[in-house]
Amino acid sequence: MLVVTKPGLQSTLQAAPRIGYRHFGVPYAGPADELSHALANRLVGNTATTPALEITFGGFEAEVETECSIAVTGAYDQIHISGQTAPAHTTLHLKSGDRIEILPVTRGTRTYLAIATGFQADEAFGSKSTYLPAQLGGLDGRALKAGDRLKSVGSPVLRETRETPVSHRPVFAHAVALRACASAETDLLDEADRKSLFEDTFIAGRQATRMGVTLTGRTLSPMSDGQMKSAPVFPGTIQCPPSGTPVVLLCDAQTTGGYPRIGHIARCDRHLLGQIRPGDQTKLLQRRPEDALRDYAEKRKFLDTWLKP
Amino acid sequence: MPTRLIPRRIADDVIELQVSSPVEAQTLASALRELVPAEDVIAGLDRVSVQFHPSCAAQIEHALQDVTVENKTKPNSAPPIEIGISYGGEYGPDLASVCEALDLSTDAFIETHTQRVHTVEMIGFTPGFSYISGLPENFSVPRLASPRPRVPAGSVGVSAGFTGIYALNGPGGWPLIGKTDAELFRANNQDPFLLTPGQLVRFRAL
Repeated sequence: MLVVTKPGLQSTLQAAPRIGYRHFGVPYAGPADELSHALANRLVGNTATTPALEITFGGFEAEVETECSIAVTGAYDQIHISGQTAPAHTTLHLKSGDRIEILPVTRGTRTYLAIATGFQADEAFGSKSTYLPAQLGGLDGRALKAGDRLKSVGSPVLRETRETPVSHRPVFAHAVALRACASAETDLLDEADRKSLFEDTFIAGRQATRMGVTLTGRTLSPMSDGQMKSAPVFPGTIQCPPSGTPVVLLCDAQTTGGYPRIGHIARCDRHLLGQIRPGDQTKLLQRRPEDALRDYAEKRKFLDTWLKP
Repeated sequence: MPTRLIPRRIADDVIELQVSSPVEAQTLASALRELVPAEDVIAGLDRVSVQFHPSCAAQIEHALQDVTVENKTKPNSAPPIEIGISYGGEYGPDLASVCEALDLSTDAFIETHTQRVHTVEMIGFTPGFSYISGLPENFSVPRLASPRPRVPAGSVGVSAGFTGIYALNGPGGWPLIGKTDAELFRANNQDPFLLTPGQLVRFRAL
């Protein structure tokens, strides 16, 4: 059991996305960086979508009440266990009284902390992932507070130490390139704007939540009268409201929206969206859908050499 | 006559079909949910999007090649549900500008809004958010140029001929005309959604 002493800006329990309820307006949720979440679980012997902690910008502290095995992945600068530096991407065996500190993060946004057998979490609409706007899943559907006790499902000890192969450790910088496809309303952009969308470098705006990241630095002008009929949107959809500042939707993406859908981040790179920080340089690389699917299959095959041995 | 639909790829793992009405979209989406191995099938007001796992791409593409939709509507015999709205004030900050854009007095707007029988066309955006048709054709106001970061639950907006009710606190881009106390989403209720597509609605001024 862990007792949260400092929750950080926003820490939630995330598990599998909430698939199959979008048509009731219920977003997928789940980890903003699905890959780092799966890597953390792998290190403690869990299946990929076992409930684990998602910590935003670090600044998280907890006390260990019973012996346990944990692992930390995703964005991190310094991890301290009872004051000593500890490695990410490695199974950590902790004893009662140990103190876990995830120091503030300066590259990437979200840290994942998994525990052997997984954290207990509420289930809603078939998923244990926290969706804050509707208070679903996780711990009472909310972000963690100081004093919260996080229990594991079973005995949280793994009698083995694992390390993520260096080849499989994501590295976060202040710049990211994302493969993307044209979407339903890309045609509403003129040629210059289309070129700009897929060739220029944008700066991630101050709004960088689990719902969406804005792309600033230049504005686009889709030919729209603001009267488009609300249409389905997904994590990865790039919407362009009349303000001209595109918004890339993330895991908590609303299910429908009325702004032109000018592009769509390819599935193979959607996990990277969860690590974009305000101010990061962001570039889109246009792919044809069939090429993007091939990219996904290749990436999946490579990742599975470690995630599914 | 059933209409044959042309599938369009809008992402590597999403195919969309365009239809001509919200009713068609709902009917088609329900049918496809039974027919194809999708992650989810979502109806917009005039589209249906099918999101699939990449491993099912070929199967989905094949299944969507020959989809047709019947252009007929089922009459709804259930009586309208009544939803009370406090118009204007703190929670309806855009009522005045909406009325100005429509060249109507506030009273005339409220009268029109409350006298008509409306229809829930779609649930979407966030859990329980309801798109409700029934405003006159010329009641068309655009969305806000920039969405508001925080719209309180229960807020009622109008846009593009629809009334929309925000079921949760969250961001939102519809001009707001008032607020309802009706709870559109109750997560722990056996029946979490107050409204479903096809439901008739009457608004009442509080």
